[in-house]
Formats: sequence, C-alpha cells, structure tokens
Amino acid sequence: MKRRNRTYPLILAFLFFLPFAGLAQDDLFDMLEEVEPPKQEKVSATFKTTRVINAHSIETVKGKTMDVRISHRFGNIYSTRNDNDGPDSFFGFDNVADVRLAVEYGITDDVMIGLGRSQMNNLVDGFAKWRFYSQTTDNKRPLSLAFVGNMVVNPSKKSAFYSGVNDNTVQTFGSAKKFFHRLGYTAQLIIARKFSPGISLELIPTYVHRNFVKDPSDENSIFALGLAGRFKVSKRVAIISDFFYVFSPYRYNQKGPVDFHMPISIGVEIETGGHVFHIDVSNARGIIANNFLIESPDSWEYAEIKLGFNISRVFNIGNRIKKAKEVTEG
Amino acid sequence: MRIIFTVFSLMALLGNSFAQVIYTTDTSMVSFFSATPIEDIEAFNSASTSLLNVAKSEIVFRVPISGFQFEKPLMQEHFNENYLETEKYPYATFKGKLSDSLDISKDTIYSITATGMMNIHGQDRAETYNGLIICKDGRATMTCDFAISLQNHKIKVPKVVFANIAETIEVKTYFEFKPYEKKK
Repeated sequence: MKRRNRTYPLILAFLFFLPFAGLAQDDLFDMLEEVEPPKQEKVSATFKTTRVINAHSIETVKGKTMDVRISHRFGNIYSTRNDNDGPDSFFGFDNVADVRLAVEYGITDDVMIGLGRSQMNNLVDGFAKWRFYSQTTDNKRPLSLAFVGNMVVNPSKKSAFYSGVNDNTVQTFGSAKKFFHRLGYTAQLIIARKFSPGISLELIPTYVHRNFVKDPSDENSIFALGLAGRFKVSKRVAIISDFFYVFSPYRYNQKGPVDFHMPISIGVEIETGGHVFHIDVSNARGIIANNFLIESPDSWEYAEIKLGFNISRVFNIGNRIKKAKEVTEG
Repeated sequence: MRIIFTVFSLMALLGNSFAQVIYTTDTSMVSFFSATPIEDIEAFNSASTSLLNVAKSEIVFRVPISGFQFEKPLMQEHFNENYLETEKYPYATFKGKLSDSLDISKDTIYSITATGMMNIHGQDRAETYNGLIICKDGRATMTCDFAISLQNHKIKVPKVVFANIAETIEVKTYFEFKPYEKKK
C-alpha cells in the first residue's frame, strides 16, 4: 500500500498534463504523422507492360482498361549454317517467325484476362493473370507474386495437325478424344522484385503441358525456369531481357527431329506515356510460352537471331475516375 | 484517496475537449488540371491530410503524390515515375499562417490568405494563396484554387511532350475540417 501511495501522485500529474501534450506540441507539421501515419504503398512500375519480351511480367493491365497488342517476330537476321538467311531474305524482313494479335482486359487492377491468336501453329490462346501479392515501398512485403494460367487450342486442319504422325500413335489416344488432342496449357508463377527505381528482376517457374505430342518419345509435360529483368538507362528508355531454361531431356539431349536451343531475348523498351514500344532480338520463334518453350530450333551460336517488336496501346473502357470527378463538381 | 484520484483523472481527461484548437481533415479533394490545345490532363486525389490550429492561425497540409488518380493508368505511372519522382519525394506539403484568426464555432464565411512554404518535388517555395473558409455547425470547409509553375519546382518536361503539358498547372483544393480527437 505504501508503494502505491507514492505512484499515485505521479500518475495524477501525468494525467493532468496529458491534455496539454497536444497543445504543447509546437509543430503542427509533426502532428500530421500522428493523425495520418504513412500508408503501406504498393510498388509501382516493376515492369512497364504485361510482357518483358516473351515472358509475362508481374504487371497486369489496370482495371477497366483494354490493351491491344501486336507482337511480331521477323525471320533470322543471319545464319552461319543456312545460306538462305541473311541478305537474300533481307535480314529476315521477308520472313515471319510469328505474329500474335491480342486483346487483353483488366477486370480489376490485379486481375486480367486475354485472348490472342498466334501465327505459329495457329494457336488461339486464352489466359488469366492474377497478381495476388504486391511488394510495398516500406519493404514489409519484399516481393510481388502473380499467377498466369493459359489454355491454347490448335485449330489447324486435320491433315496439318497430324502431319508426320504415325497412324497407330493417333489411334492409341482414341479417336473420340480428337478435340482433346488440340489443347495445351501453361501455368506460371511469377516472383518479382523491384530492387531500385532502375532495376527489376523476376523468376518464372513454368509448367507447360500438351495433350498430344507428335513424337512418342517427346514429353507431354515440361518444366522450365525463366529469368527476366528490366534495367532503366534513362527516364523513358530501358534495357529488357528474358531467358528460359527448359528441363527437358528430350530437348536437352537433342533427340528430337530438330535442334532445341534455350530462348534468350534482349531488347530496348521505349515508353511515351501512351504507348510502350519494344524492339528486341531473340532466337525464339514463338511469342507465347506454349510455342517458344516447345519449339526453338534457332541458336545464338549460329547468329540465328530475329528482330521483333511489341506494340501495346491501352484504351480506357468506362470511366476510371468518375467518382473523384463527382466529388469535385458536387 | 481513490475518489480524489478518480475525480482528478476524469477532470484531466475532460480537459481534452474544453477548447477545440486543432481541426483535422474529414473529406479532402485535391485536383489539378493541365490545359493545352493538344491535350487536357486532369487528376484527382482524395488521400490528403490537413491540420488547422485555430489558436495560432496555422495550417498544414500533406498530399500523397501517389494518390493522384488519372484517367489513363499509364499516364499515372508516368507522372509518378518520371515527373514527380514519387519514390524520392512521396508528398507535396504546405505549411503556412492564415491572415485572420478563425472562430469555427460561429457560422461565418472567411475570405482568407495563407502565406507559407509549399514543397513539391522536394523544392521549397514561399507562396501566398487566397481561399475561402466557410464555418458551419462547428465544422469548416476550405476551398482554395491556385497555380503551380513546373519550372519553380524543377519538374522537367521532355521536349517531345512539351506541347502536351501546360507550364503552369491549375490546382483546386477542397478540405472539410472537423474537431480533432486524439486516437486512442
């Protein structure tokens, strides 16, 4: 009891002066921190568009906007093992390795869907990307995570789709499941971090599955690991690059009818506020993972690189800031 | 002893609400408008905080740059990344003195000027702004429109888009103040 008696006056004094603490605070400015502590903010612009070059980036198309994308890959600029590539094909400009036209839409700021059609293998792809975890500026969340899943359909003519395939192989799959043969899938987890305003990197564990493969010794399911980066060189220009290592003994040991080489791409990204423009060189032929992780017969070793570009134009669907406008006017 | 203690503590706590000196933001809207013959650009921000000290006629506000919402998301990213460098300078702030003393408890309209330091893009600049404060039912509404010159705050516009962005940006602010209660 004696002890308590001593502490009472102290508490009393403290409580008595408590209300003046607020008034005694000289700097109104310092009080702002108290009233409204800084919020956790998501890191913006880890990458500039939804693709690095061939790889998906961590970014999604923002809510209520539509991204129209035109991606083009020319033929080989040169080849040390094939005379046709080089000046005779005007350094690849005469040929087309792949073209993809796509319309992609942001449902929310973190969820997007897309529909595209590639010239290579006539693939029609539908995909969804969900960025479910975002790096914050205070580093409490050090990484961003996203998931991409796609399904492709090969609508080629029957004769083209089964060309070079042994009739018995087709029979073993059962003729009733013919449409099922034409489907393929990709699942990717994207792990990204913006290290500084100028440097962003991401890792992309990837799984590709095809329901039907032409060569029975080929794998239906393939794992791959991608690495991609963006390095800003000025406010509007960045160097971008992506690379995939494909875990496929069939491809790695070059057992297939054609060579396989790991797709490596490097490019320049120019951003103008409305457009994002990519010019790149790559040995990969395909634009979507279902193509370039499966077939990539050209190699940097033989100078078989291709010029490519991606154009992305974002359109607004619906009014993103309607609410804010109403407050100002009302 | 205990009764005295309780009485004193109650009195002490009540002391908080005796004289309302500090007012804080309830609703806020800061918007800016850049008008050129080629393109009109506007953005809205409802995430600002402001404090008003009536006894000292002081006002401060803090606008988080990342809170500006643009019609085009790419433009918004561009604004943060390349023009305002939000990662380096996350806030625009103002700290100033009001020309008149206010009595918010009375329903009045004050036409008032605020003189102080405006900090945008890390650049301080002394400014005087004219505004209107409407007091009603113990709350205050402040509106203030002014212009900001990009050059004064070292916000560089590249030549390519020079024609698209106005050199002076019109800013509109709207703040609703309510008595400040300390958060427990």
